[in-house]
Amino acid sequence: MTTSTVAPEIVAFASEVRAALSDLSREEVDDLTDGLEADLAESLAEDLRRTLPDPVAYAAELRTAAGLPGREPSDAKRGLLVAMQELTERIASVSERNPAIASLVEFADAVRPVWWIVRAWATTWMLAAFFGMERGFGFEGAWWVVMLGLTVLSIQWGRGRWGFPSQRELVTVGNIVVAVVIVPIFGAAWSWGGSGGDYEAGFDAGSDSGYGADSPLSMMGKPVTNVYAYDAAGQPLTGVQLFDQDGRPLDPFDVSSGDGRPCVDRDEVDCTSLFVPAQLVTGKSVYNVFPLAAIASALDEDAQNAPAPGAVATPLPAPFAVVPAVQPAAAPTPQPVAPLNE
Amino acid sequence: MDATQLLKGVLDVAVLAVVEDEDGYGYDVVRRLRAAGLEDVGDASVYGTLRRLYSAGALTSYVVPSEEGPHRKYYGINAQGRATLELQRKVWAEFATTMSDLLGTSTTGEAA
Repeated sequence: MTTSTVAPEIVAFASEVRAALSDLSREEVDDLTDGLEADLAESLAEDLRRTLPDPVAYAAELRTAAGLPGREPSDAKRGLLVAMQELTERIASVSERNPAIASLVEFADAVRPVWWIVRAWATTWMLAAFFGMERGFGFEGAWWVVMLGLTVLSIQWGRGRWGFPSQRELVTVGNIVVAVVIVPIFGAAWSWGGSGGDYEAGFDAGSDSGYGADSPLSMMGKPVTNVYAYDAAGQPLTGVQLFDQDGRPLDPFDVSSGDGRPCVDRDEVDCTSLFVPAQLVTGKSVYNVFPLAAIASALDEDAQNAPAPGAVATPLPAPFAVVPAVQPAAAPTPQPVAPLNE
Repeated sequence: MDATQLLKGVLDVAVLAVVEDEDGYGYDVVRRLRAAGLEDVGDASVYGTLRRLYSAGALTSYVVPSEEGPHRKYYGINAQGRATLELQRKVWAEFATTMSDLLGTSTTGEAA
């Protein structure tokens, strides 16, 4: 139909015009657009300042003048594109009269290639983040290749190459999406530093213990699920209430996080026993009373883990029956106690 | 008054008039219309009008291949087109006279 000496912008434009007429029969489209490339090439060559108009609006004008019905479903879309086209034209006419705006527009035009790269990066980042494979402003291995590919695509589209039907609409929507999310993405990339490490440590710990990935109480990255206290004589204590330096209960489980009751043991699928909270005299159930006991688990009517009917709480085996006693302090000032269980 | 609104009603006859003596391809017709003073005429409006006149049987059409560029689609007037043009010339002359009288101007070329 066309030979190759036409500028690629014109070929792309003509294909977009044909796409906008695609609801008509093939014959009608050919009738309307036969020779379009030649006409456009000539009109552009004659008026060098002229830019290609919006293909959708152009197709609409062509269609109306030819007495063919308008394209119903895409009216809203066309309205938006026409509005954007008008805005662009208005900016152009304002900038012609105002040198300050003109230089601003010129500057914005000059940095467009930067935007082409930024949007490719942002798109890659979103995709990588979906798989948890973003690393600050960068990515894990193969995602760099994805970014390279998207960058080439983005630049080619930015230059009006590699056109396809509805490209303009898609690129416009994509630009808006990236413009909206770019600030949050920058924020996330900026504050990323090391959080992935914590996440992975938590994940490893979680998969080791078979319990929640984000344990509130941990030692060397491994969750602490129970605490055994011994008195000065080395004898095990029960009912020990523990608090941290701020008076917060040392609760090993984040029951509010939705994982439900903390699980002690599980078979392949289900939890077989649960930690039992202690009851305070106030009636409150708490998990900072150690050592915690366990109770057999069964699924309740909501398919949630719950203490099995008729089951009794039983103490869990302590790591040590007794531990060495503490040397009585000679001085009245208490001495720091070294960890006992090496 | 916005001349582009007026133009919509008379673009058919204007297009017929500029291909009356010589066949022309799309942009060629646009150029002739602009040269005649219809500077605001839109390309796509003209191409669409050419296609509609062709469908209505007022124009003939043929493709001329080009060695170094895309082919061109030429349009030429036929007997039916000439008849239409003659009829519309009369309609326009009467209409223009009526409007000029109504608006109280002696010349038809001046835009209000």
